[in-house]
Amino acid sequence: MYSQSLSSNGAFMQEQDLLKSILADLRRTSREYTTATTEASCPMTRRMFTDLTNDTLRLQGELFNLMQQNNMYSVSSKALRQDVDKQIQSAHQTQQKCQQFIQEKNTQNSSYSQSPNVSQHQPNYGNPYYM
Amino acid sequence: MQNHSMQALSPKELNYIADSITNEELLIKQCAATASITHNPQIQQALNHYVRSHEQHLNTLVNALQQHQSFAPTQAQ
Repeated sequence: MYSQSLSSNGAFMQEQDLLKSILADLRRTSREYTTATTEASCPMTRRMFTDLTNDTLRLQGELFNLMQQNNMYSVSSKALRQDVDKQIQSAHQTQQKCQQFIQEKNTQNSSYSQSPNVSQHQPNYGNPYYM
Repeated sequence: MQNHSMQALSPKELNYIADSITNEELLIKQCAATASITHNPQIQQALNHYVRSHEQHLNTLVNALQQHQSFAPTQAQ
């Protein structure tokens, strides 16, 4: 029955539900573009998927803001202070462990050769295809 | 675009492009349909802008297929 899919005001779907559906699709599409970027082997294709990821993320953010401004998106509840404190404490421990680990590895390295006799490795993060 | 960065598409890349074309089509239709029923001018303007953005995405994807067409082998290797 078609009438079952019509909402109270006779429209197929409420405007708010349609916008939520678009927002959900933008979220899903940006996720798929991210996956496509990481799995692209052709540099040109990777560049294209990177641009499409960024643009879709931008559109998703814009729509989210617009819906929030028009009270169409209820703000979710807030995380408790005690939970945030707990995570900060745990994150500090993680940072310390990482620093210790790096120091250990550096010490092991230097036991083999006191000073490096090759120039520092050129960083590859400047490569435009991987930005 | 530099020619040396152009390679034949992998089957995976081809599938991602095809799926992306479907996604963009769905977004264009949803944005256009929602723009036609909204009474909020701000939302209507934004949705019409989204329709154009997704049309551009669709063009980009179709162009990518065309640009890679001649690099595709005619037989499985």
